[in-house]
Amino acid sequence: MSRVLVAMSGGVDSSVAAALLVEAGHEVVGVTMKTFCYSETPDHGKTCCGLDGISDAKRVAHALGMPHYVFDVEQDFTRDVIDDFVREYARGRTPNPCVRCNGNTKFRDLMARGRALGCDRIASGHYVRIEHTSAGSRLRRGRDGAKDQAYFLWGLPPELVPGLLFPVGELTKDEVRDRARQLGLVTADKPESQEICFVPTGDYRDLLHRRLVRHPALEPGDIVRTDGEVVGRHQGFAGFTVGQRRGLGGGFPEALYVLEIRPESRQVLVGTRDELFRDRVVVGELNWLGEAPALGETLEVQLRHRAPPVACVVEANGEELELGLAEPRPAITPGQSAVLFEGDVLRGGGRIVRASRAEMSTRATGEAAGSLGA
Amino acid sequence: MKPIYLDYAATTPVREEVRAAMAPCLAEAFGNPSSVHRWGREAAGRLEAAREEAAAALGARPSEIRFVRGGTESDNLAVLGWSRAQVEAGATPSVVVSSIEHHAVMHAAEQAEHEGACVTRLPVTPSGEIDLDAADGALSSAPALASVMWVNNETGLTLPLGALLERAAARGALVHSDAAQAVGKVPVDVRRVPVAMLSATGHKIYGPKGTGLLFVREGTPLAPLVHGGGQERGLRAGTEDVAGAVGLALAMRLAVEEQASEAARLTPLRERLAELLCASLDGVRINAGTAPHRAPHVLSVGIAGIEDGSALLMALDLEGLAVSGGSACLSGAAKASHVMRALYGARDPHATVRFSFGRATDMAAVEHAASITVRVVGRLRAA
Repeated sequence: MSRVLVAMSGGVDSSVAAALLVEAGHEVVGVTMKTFCYSETPDHGKTCCGLDGISDAKRVAHALGMPHYVFDVEQDFTRDVIDDFVREYARGRTPNPCVRCNGNTKFRDLMARGRALGCDRIASGHYVRIEHTSAGSRLRRGRDGAKDQAYFLWGLPPELVPGLLFPVGELTKDEVRDRARQLGLVTADKPESQEICFVPTGDYRDLLHRRLVRHPALEPGDIVRTDGEVVGRHQGFAGFTVGQRRGLGGGFPEALYVLEIRPESRQVLVGTRDELFRDRVVVGELNWLGEAPALGETLEVQLRHRAPPVACVVEANGEELELGLAEPRPAITPGQSAVLFEGDVLRGGGRIVRASRAEMSTRATGEAAGSLGA
Repeated sequence: MKPIYLDYAATTPVREEVRAAMAPCLAEAFGNPSSVHRWGREAAGRLEAAREEAAAALGARPSEIRFVRGGTESDNLAVLGWSRAQVEAGATPSVVVSSIEHHAVMHAAEQAEHEGACVTRLPVTPSGEIDLDAADGALSSAPALASVMWVNNETGLTLPLGALLERAAARGALVHSDAAQAVGKVPVDVRRVPVAMLSATGHKIYGPKGTGLLFVREGTPLAPLVHGGGQERGLRAGTEDVAGAVGLALAMRLAVEEQASEAARLTPLRERLAELLCASLDGVRINAGTAPHRAPHVLSVGIAGIEDGSALLMALDLEGLAVSGGSACLSGAAKASHVMRALYGARDPHATVRFSFGRATDMAAVEHAASITVRVVGRLRAA
């Protein structure tokens, strides 16, 4: 007997995903993952995965006539996602917790527990398309370009991909809401969740201050220009991300952006918008859903969730991947994802280690550029 | 295949006789018992008849029965109400509880602690022994109240109230017992087991949810938790739930009347299920199985080699078998309960499944439940 396990956050997308599976005649089991202890946060229940999310998911499952359970994944989630999140900021990098969760926690856990429940396939409400053929399975961007979530799934364990279903990948967000309204689902007009689920206040620095006691990442340091001139002080580099303008203090003749965070010296390096651009990227912690990219292969890389992809050539492909971009891009941020596509097919990706600019040799990027042979 | 409900210790359906007795209280006999007029008198008459019926079922006097809104409220009124009465009188109350009490008693005791009481938590062995010597000091410091359940809800373990009562009486302490899982399952009579207070609930014995009572022996000091009108002799303000009281009282009388025959019918079912599981699966432990006294309606089983006890319950549900684990938390995500931790330690490698039996349970259901459990446990161990 074949059952499908559908991950339901309590939002509209996964609600409709569940409804579509029921409609298609599958035996469907809904689950909501309880990722952390909501009662310990000041404004709990605000996000889609809070207890409100659990009860919304239960209401939808009940309306659809399917069982619904809660998986308590707090321990794994804390270890694999929250600890990593804190560690990355402490290293002066900017993590992607949703990517981390999808790759390390959510789908692995769903598959393992799903098997225990007699489910051989796992579904979610992500806006991506999946094709299962005799040649294998591949993930493509969702039909709704504005909602596409392929970016968040590069870390999926490849062995899980043949068992995945993404029922809303062929729909637009408007179509999803229409379906939800037709079905009378309580979640039809629920707003999008934007915050990180374990940071319901929207300010991740509260979490860092709780978790990193007397850590250098939260100690004051200098704000410096690329020529070494100290232009200000900051209250901890963990509060910054590359490309950020806010929090640098005012009074500069030109707009300044964070170019780089230097954890060893606790310096935050700033510069003009022009200085933000890089065209070489080194990517680590790689994961491929099919074949690894070949040396010299031309692909497209997406460097931020909302950023348009840019053509790139694979210049080295060992433990780390080195990419040459067809044109420079701003604010390429260590810790964020570099997600590789071939057309709209998701090939995989990794975490950005560093970025540099071929024709420029600043103090900030000199070492990295040197190692790229520029 | 028809789903099997083996979770009667969680709750039961309201039996037909009870529904029939409650119906007029929701319709023509809707009056407020405090009203002077005929509607009020009709409601008050039914309420007091219910009080008499409930009292008789427990061997109590009607004046010793306080209707409240559920077993949890009854436990809270007993533990916290007693403790507050002592604090109000300027004393430092000493509250003694077993470590396997229901949350209603555990958390009420915790609250009493916040309000100035000294709370002593007594370890219990898997065979139901309580070290009374360890309680001696706490029972001797006046005023003292021991709250120890009659039958444990997760394991069916029956606790040695007789010995506790003797010890408490010798030290001048009072005893409260949560009998939510005992009434109708084992003989409960406050003349034979002279507790000062006893809590009972309707929904475990085919009565309505949200109904309960506290037996309060005359002269037991208690402060109310809910303030308002002077209903229930000043101990439970709020217009009485007459239908609920009528339902609870009838359910209680019927459960007590049927107790001996039901116990005789359920005990072999429990033993058969234990035997089938132990014969077909390795690594099975009957929780509290070594205890001299267990209630007939509960079989709690520890199963080794299951990484995630909550997944086991979900998998059993999907195969059509409704059972419980330890206690479930608010959101439904199960964790090892404080009861299992108290009996077997925090590192116990067994997942807990509680099968509990009721009026509709027969041998066929038990045998089918065993086969589903064996199949699902096999699958989870392989996964």
